Amino acid sequence: MSAERVEVREKVLSANDQIAAEVRDQLAGHRVFTINLISSPGSGKTMLLERTVDLLKGSLRLGVVAGDVQTRNDAERLERHGIPVRAIETGGGCHLNARQVSESLASLDLAQTDLLFIENVGNLVCPSSFDLGESLKVVLMSVTEGEDKPLKYPAAFRRASVLVLTKVDLVPHLEFSTETAIDNALSVNPDLRVFATSSYTGEGLELWTEWLSEEVSACKRDS
Amino acid sequence: MHEMALALEIGAICDRELAKLPETRVTAVGVEVGAFSGVEVDSLQFCLEVVLSERFAGVRCEIAREAGTAACPVCGLEFEVMRAPFECPECGVMARGVSGGQGLQLTYLEVE
Repeated sequence: MSAERVEVREKVLSANDQIAAEVRDQLAGHRVFTINLISSPGSGKTMLLERTVDLLKGSLRLGVVAGDVQTRNDAERLERHGIPVRAIETGGGCHLNARQVSESLASLDLAQTDLLFIENVGNLVCPSSFDLGESLKVVLMSVTEGEDKPLKYPAAFRRASVLVLTKVDLVPHLEFSTETAIDNALSVNPDLRVFATSSYTGEGLELWTEWLSEEVSACKRDS
Repeated sequence: MHEMALALEIGAICDRELAKLPETRVTAVGVEVGAFSGVEVDSLQFCLEVVLSERFAGVRCEIAREAGTAACPVCGLEFEVMRAPFECPECGVMARGVSGGQGLQLTYLEVE
């Protein structure tokens, strides 16, 4: 029997992308500005969210979907700040996918949400491949990770719209050049918007939350 | 690390395609991996062999690489790139971002 080649040409993540498109439509329908936070473990995603929530919860209606491989620890930390939080425990999975996000959204009141944060699993490689239906991706990088992180893990920086440099209060104790780190990130993605922050001292958080508020307003106008 | 999830997706696409092709046997599966797709080819090869050999005994997993490209914002030349920064070989201008090589697709099934 002779072999025959059947052309398929289907994107491997087409099933995920289809669900992500539905999530994006659902969020747009409720005018929810949604951020997918990506970083390596321990770079400060949860602490940045805690500070951000405290600064914004008086003026905006917030929600969080928090992913972790195991435990609900991050979700519980965020719940203490008095906002709706949904936890996704991936049970070994190294990234969130659109189906998990879609299922979490079912129990959130999107009509009462202005700004939604999706805290991805701590991992700088895999999450960047999976569209979750977010408005944009934000990549975090802490100053203790080294200036060359964007060169070593370019995909996450290339697909993000915003870079939040975290733990900048530690710079005096490190051989770390903020300028070199930002140059490296911009060499991978010249369109990155950069915020240098410390969740510990509060440095840079005002600019970050102002930007978020502006984006939420723009989302309300455009939708 | 996410290569197993991708291999399982490829297995699911194979199942959907095969439902349209009754009484055929899959002998090879072709996949194209972009240089900027974030996929580690050796790892995907291993995962695909695990996932697909469960379905189709003796199947070959044929992975082709798609080059990464960037487009010059001045002269429009599309050129192959490996890592940032992406400098146009004609005019020396830096391209903003990549124009190709981010994809991952199942390209073909070989059946008999």
